[in-house]
Amino acid sequence: MTKLIFLGCLSNSKYKNTCGNAIKIIQSIDPSYIVLDDVPCCGALSYHIGNDVELREHVEFVNHWLKKNNISEIVTTCAGCYNYLTKYYNQFLGQDFTVKVKHFLQYLAEPKNLLKLDLKYIGKKIKVSYHDACHLRNAVNPVIEEPRQILDAIENIEVKEMENNRTNSICCGAGGGVYSVFKENSDYNSKLIFDQLNRGKILLTACPFCFTALTRIREENQLKKPVKKIEDFIVNIMEGVDPLSE
Amino acid sequence: MNESGKILYEKVKSKIKDSQKEGTLEKQFGDFWKFACVIKTRQHDLRYLYDDTSREFVDNNRDSLIEMREEFVNNMDLYVGKCINIMRKKNFTVHYAKTNDEAQKIFMEELGDSKIIYKSKSNEAKDIGIIDVLKKNGIIIKETDLGDVLIQLFDYKLPSFQIGPGVHFTEEEIVKKIKEVYGVELEPKAQAIVNYFRSTYRNELLNNVKISLTSANAISAEEGTIVLGENEGNISLITRATDKHIVVCGITKIVPNILDAVLVTQLQSRINNVSFNYISLISGPSNTSDIQGTSVQGMYGAKEVVVILVDDWRTKAVNENLIYADFLKCIGCKSCIYPCTASRAFGNIYASKYGLGATAIIRDYIHNGIEAAVNDGLFLCTGCENCYHWCPVSINCGEILKSMKKEATEKGLAPPHLEQYKEKIFKNKNPFL
Repeated sequence: MTKLIFLGCLSNSKYKNTCGNAIKIIQSIDPSYIVLDDVPCCGALSYHIGNDVELREHVEFVNHWLKKNNISEIVTTCAGCYNYLTKYYNQFLGQDFTVKVKHFLQYLAEPKNLLKLDLKYIGKKIKVSYHDACHLRNAVNPVIEEPRQILDAIENIEVKEMENNRTNSICCGAGGGVYSVFKENSDYNSKLIFDQLNRGKILLTACPFCFTALTRIREENQLKKPVKKIEDFIVNIMEGVDPLSE
Repeated sequence: MNESGKILYEKVKSKIKDSQKEGTLEKQFGDFWKFACVIKTRQHDLRYLYDDTSREFVDNNRDSLIEMREEFVNNMDLYVGKCINIMRKKNFTVHYAKTNDEAQKIFMEELGDSKIIYKSKSNEAKDIGIIDVLKKNGIIIKETDLGDVLIQLFDYKLPSFQIGPGVHFTEEEIVKKIKEVYGVELEPKAQAIVNYFRSTYRNELLNNVKISLTSANAISAEEGTIVLGENEGNISLITRATDKHIVVCGITKIVPNILDAVLVTQLQSRINNVSFNYISLISGPSNTSDIQGTSVQGMYGAKEVVVILVDDWRTKAVNENLIYADFLKCIGCKSCIYPCTASRAFGNIYASKYGLGATAIIRDYIHNGIEAAVNDGLFLCTGCENCYHWCPVSINCGEILKSMKKEATEKGLAPPHLEQYKEKIFKNKNPFL
């Protein structure tokens, strides 16, 4: 049986470095997790616009691929993949979908894994803010407290909640394919997220879609505080690199 | 993507452009709305009036509200029948209209020869098409809620905030308009503007109203009581100082009993942080039995209270399990618009003639089809489900809109990039290749 790191199309296409960091973290806990080259798309935003027949076909194709590769467990670093794999695959396939799917943050937050990682930041205390992505907070099994547990477990890292957090968080404006058509949505909403940073020195997110939107807004508005994927932040700490660096 | 899809896509793009251009009505509203949404959502966690916050109030009542609404939706016929029965016994004139057309016809018959009607704010009247039919028949519609009075004064045609329709006008703009229309010079202060309407319009409302129109915040099936909440007193005046008070609303305004009705009304007040200084419980026309115990209808209040309960899309939605069936649970509290990603970003271009936000777009879809919904900005919804997380009866508007997007895509109305993404996912198994 194979344990797979499911990186997701967006991260795998655009954020290779972040993918490398995620793999580094997961494999430092359990080296039996592997990465495969030809992983198909989970279906992503086609769930917003595809009809049931074509969606079923796609889900069956992916399930066939998983079976062919003998996959029994998935840890995915993509918030969208987590949401869709845990929702639609059960919905369309029922008991025929046997793969155990976890999000990277759920996997990391398991006490034995946190212990194994033993994260310590040697430096002046840093206040960080975490942005709850819709994909994670809306999932069948929501991922909300896990990132907080992970960050709280790191010595000298303190989570400063934004005004809108958890199920009340602001959507970055990039979901549902809106980013590719009407960027104006994220122009406003992603800026609003940065405006709520207050005492947080860095904005952390676990969603590559949010990261894309937030990065663009940061650049366009020349904002000083960095936005970082949580796996990059963790690897910085593991390797003694300044986690606030870009 | 077909020709209609292209036209609709260009239209939405152009509306977005307008909403970002300085000096346009859309930009003016959008700026106000962005501010309002931040304030409104912030108010949900404040404790300045009550011991609990409105978020706590909603959370504490959510389970019982969901149960109550599901009980109603699953037994709609029963509750509607019960409600009509008791209302007739209490001397209401009750009509049950199967369709909006039927409701409009009944309404015009009830209006008789009257050429003027005084109304309170009513989204239901828009949904049922009463406003359109009144306009078509040349009936003068006199708004009484100050917000709607201002909308009429400015002849504002764009969708607006249902709770405070004129709240985006500045004091300076209002006094300028009053001078232009009535030739009266006022100090640009809220108090002066209110004083002006109190000293002029209040007399008219006390003396001239023959027929008035309201909706209902809720109607109790057990007691046959209409609940109306307000803070201006306009509803109190036009439902009492009138000959005929006509209530028009969808059957989904019915709740099992009076306690449920009051809870729904209180919830609407808490969610919007507006105080209902007056809550009317109307259980029939005014009457007296003071002369020899003889019951006579029409003492000081309304002589007649007519209730037009409209089904139209509602029973059909349950029976055919339509994509918007869940929307039947809606209690019209408007909680979904404040945290909505698209509404905040796009103001009154993510909207329809029924108002702002997802529910107004769903209503447009129900009455005018998928093209209308795409034109209202259906594809601006990110599916973030903020509406669902905050909804006191857990309606997932995001899911309803997702189903609408699927229908739009099937009909060739999805924006071009989305279609391409879909193709790439299904063919290449990677949207970014």
